[in-house]
Amino acid sequence: MRKLWGLNQRLSQWRAIRAIKEALRVVYPFILLMTVVDVLGQSILANDGFFFQIYHIGSWLPAIAVWRMAARVISIVINGLVAVTVAFMTANQLARSYRSDALAVGIISALSFLTLNVNYQALGRKTTGMSQFMEENLGPQGIFLAIVVGLGVGWGASHLMTRFSRWRLHHPRFGQPSWTGRVIWPLTVILLMMVAIGYGLSLLTPYGINGLVYQGLSSLVANPGHQGVVIVAVTTISNFLWWIGFVGPVSLAGNSSVTSLQNLSYAIQHGSGWGAPNLVTLHTLGDAYANFGGAGMTLSLVIAIWIGSRQASYRRVANQTFLPNLVNLNQPTLLGLPLLFNPILLVPFLVAPAVNITLAWFALTWKLVPPIVYPVPRTTPGPLIAYLGTGGDWRALALSLVCLTVSVLIYLPFVRLLNQEGGGNHAA
Amino acid sequence: MRHSWWRWLVGILLVLAVFLPSMTWMRHQITQYKTNYKTPLDPTIMVPGSSASQNRFDALIKELRKETKTGHSVLKVKVAENGQLSYTGSIRRGDNQPFIVVAFENNRDGYANIVKQAQWLNIAMKDLVKTYHFNHFSTLGHSNGGLILSLFLERYLSQLKDVKVERLMTIATPYNMESDSTTTQTAILKELIKYRKQLPKSLTVYSVAGTENYSSDGTVPANSVNQGKYVFQNQVAHYTQITVTGDETTHSALPQNKQIVLLIRQYLLQETLPAKDRYQNQAQNQVDSRNATDDPGLPQK
Repeated sequence: MRKLWGLNQRLSQWRAIRAIKEALRVVYPFILLMTVVDVLGQSILANDGFFFQIYHIGSWLPAIAVWRMAARVISIVINGLVAVTVAFMTANQLARSYRSDALAVGIISALSFLTLNVNYQALGRKTTGMSQFMEENLGPQGIFLAIVVGLGVGWGASHLMTRFSRWRLHHPRFGQPSWTGRVIWPLTVILLMMVAIGYGLSLLTPYGINGLVYQGLSSLVANPGHQGVVIVAVTTISNFLWWIGFVGPVSLAGNSSVTSLQNLSYAIQHGSGWGAPNLVTLHTLGDAYANFGGAGMTLSLVIAIWIGSRQASYRRVANQTFLPNLVNLNQPTLLGLPLLFNPILLVPFLVAPAVNITLAWFALTWKLVPPIVYPVPRTTPGPLIAYLGTGGDWRALALSLVCLTVSVLIYLPFVRLLNQEGGGNHAA
Repeated sequence: MRHSWWRWLVGILLVLAVFLPSMTWMRHQITQYKTNYKTPLDPTIMVPGSSASQNRFDALIKELRKETKTGHSVLKVKVAENGQLSYTGSIRRGDNQPFIVVAFENNRDGYANIVKQAQWLNIAMKDLVKTYHFNHFSTLGHSNGGLILSLFLERYLSQLKDVKVERLMTIATPYNMESDSTTTQTAILKELIKYRKQLPKSLTVYSVAGTENYSSDGTVPANSVNQGKYVFQNQVAHYTQITVTGDETTHSALPQNKQIVLLIRQYLLQETLPAKDRYQNQAQNQVDSRNATDDPGLPQK
């Protein structure tokens, strides 16, 4: 614990980590608003939303199409562009620490990030109906790339600008450089570099670097088989990727995988999930017992903060993000605390789901609970997933509550450890 | 402390407000799944006509197998007079569209025999459902086989719990036996019409007639086939009559008639036919329907 704390302190000294944390702190309110809209959109207004289903909202809410559209529009604008904002803010904060022109560097970074996500497939075609940008990379799943670009460009552009100013100082015959003069050269150099990188990548893969990583990961996660150990490993890798900012589509296998469908048809024919053909899958273990709040059991993190944290900012974020966590949309928690790039919270973020999967594995193989077989909406509150998915088995509900408690206990010491953290960053 | 007591109460109420409706929702969902669930196994039950054995459809099955990439496996069931079942062939593992031919030891013609054969079919179907766990099927009946199937669907289908029939195709089935009359109804037709309300409302029926000349396929009068409308029309979801003319349209050649094989593939097995076959088939139908309705003034689609 002490070592971990030391590591945390050392990392916090890093300019890059500080820039990232600061950037995420600035972006947080935007993400929070977006998530609240998403909570409304996905769990209450969408056809497959949990609250939509259980309260039969479609049958009594007037003008549901209009509500849906509004939620959708806000979601597209904020959710769809969050990575661009992160790219801007990261470079902006880094440039500030270099005492460079933070605004200019931030804009250059945002443009660079967009350059890397130009859709080369749509380029040069007149009417393809394809988007000019790889839009999905501009949303939450692009956050990691945005951070990398933000750091790289923030560093590069700041140094270029400083160099250039210095050079101008040495050659006073050109006179004082104007704002345009200071910005235009670093902008040109960096954009040219980005075009070169982007074009080079487009020759390798049509989906951009982000798409490439995602495809690889998705195929890895998509079918981890029936080995408990493999499932734990895949979940841990996936959660680690969330921690470094690969947020989004590397989500767990859903209701519709072949194994789940086989289980469903078995349950329908036999009346319950006992004896279903696919007892141990990512779905029956991970989705059911290790995904409360989303990746990393963040619902239990929120509860642990309520119980054990004395940090005002943590408590505030926990209060604000409880509802999104309840319907498994945990992005604001990850970005708001921030949990991303926080070495102390990384430990329980990886351990808690792994422990839960192990618990669930024992419970399933010892036939203490039946596997989940009925599809549940993605926005079902975590502790209810197993209960509803098994068709109302009380043992599954009990196991869910055990998992929740265990996860809270795993998070608690780390949350307490963070109480020592004080001063500037978190007083805000 | 009163403050915190209130908080707990509100918390518990909120949990219940989510929990209780979600339980109702779950129960509703599960019943929905149960009623809408279809087993992957989707057999086609084939019943031959009088004087025909369980090998009656071999030529047809050979044709069907030749055309389709999925090699339908064939299970043949013969029902003895005492209800004893003897199986030949098998349903291949992984084949979800097998053919099951049900034939009868006593395969004689006549009202009394057909009624008995429907009972025997019921025995066979019960055993098949118990063994292979399918909950939906389609059927094909040639000649009197169509009568046996219609009787079975009216009288006995309800005995098979949660099993649905989706499509019924009868080929040259004499709903009014050998009678050519459009007014007098034979015993079997009266029987079928009397209990037609028992036919499942979701059923889709195709009645295919063949005609050598303008009135008969050599054995069964076209008028007798046409009487099927009094059984099915306005009771089942869709009732379609198709008349096929041309080569190979004698009563016994119909099951392996090229046009009828196409009809079986398209309507009964619901295959997606290659464009050329589909075209050929449609062209044929259009000509036929014009002949049948004798209304050349109707614009052809």
